[in-house]
Amino acid sequence: MMQEPSTPDPKRQADPQEHLDCDAALEKLFDFLDGELDDSLETRLTAHVARCRHCFEQTDFERRFLEAVSAVRDAEQCPKALRERVLATLRAAGLEA
Amino acid sequence: MMTDAPEAAASAPAPPKWFSDAALAAMDDVYRFARSLTRDPVDAEDVVQDTYLRAFRSWRTFQQGTDIKRWLFTIARNAFLRSRERGQREVTLDDDASAVADAQQAQEAWLRGGLTPILDHADVGPAITEALAALPESFRSVVVLVDLEDQPYEAAAEVLGIPIGTVRSRLFRGRKLLQERLVQHAIDAGLVPARPSRSPA
Repeated sequence: MMQEPSTPDPKRQADPQEHLDCDAALEKLFDFLDGELDDSLETRLTAHVARCRHCFEQTDFERRFLEAVSAVRDAEQCPKALRERVLATLRAAGLEA
Repeated sequence: MMTDAPEAAASAPAPPKWFSDAALAAMDDVYRFARSLTRDPVDAEDVVQDTYLRAFRSWRTFQQGTDIKRWLFTIARNAFLRSRERGQREVTLDDDASAVADAQQAQEAWLRGGLTPILDHADVGPAITEALAALPESFRSVVVLVDLEDQPYEAAAEVLGIPIGTVRSRLFRGRKLLQERLVQHAIDAGLVPARPSRSPA
């Protein structure tokens, strides 16, 4: 969970100091959460999110959503029977290590 | 560009242990990706079998030290495409245009309000799995690669043979579609009120 911004900013407020407004921040939000931004943009977006309540809330929501999606990963595993069949196929083809 | 392993002779030597260990350790990941492509457990198992047979026959084309999951995903993707071309099982083509239109209609505030109560719910996993399975293939495969398999955008682009910008847009639309379906699930389960109907023009 992120730390909330101390001062709520109006929704969609421009952020000239960081040269990043809400539209630009939200457009890059998934890139930000996926770690796909370069260092400079990541720093500016982090600063914006820390100051803007609207973007903070959206970022927090998307982060929680992505964590929930990622958590289903372990629920779906390769069936044991398939694993054994694959190994048997490799063995039959002379490809067993 | 990483390419699918070429067909190698059946008499190819068995791979070294380091390769076998790494490849077999990734079988859960390959299976999940195959499920995301085929949406059918039987078809997914065929893709996994095909993937491993081709990978083990062509292990020499794998560059040690690179990401073996990415290499296996690429082979799996090509195995899936081949199976679709053969028409052994009919796979319905997804209507991306319709899905895109649906995604564009997504409203952030409504999604956030509808989803927040169920993100705290302990049993949200099955609903996510179901919603994920219902996504059109082009969106689902990107979401699975990035969100479940932790692949970077560049790797997803390489595996799927699409530009990185397409990965980015499909990921956005796929996630928004997923959120819409989950909100609908929450409404059906009575966890959140139904979306107010739009007033007539």
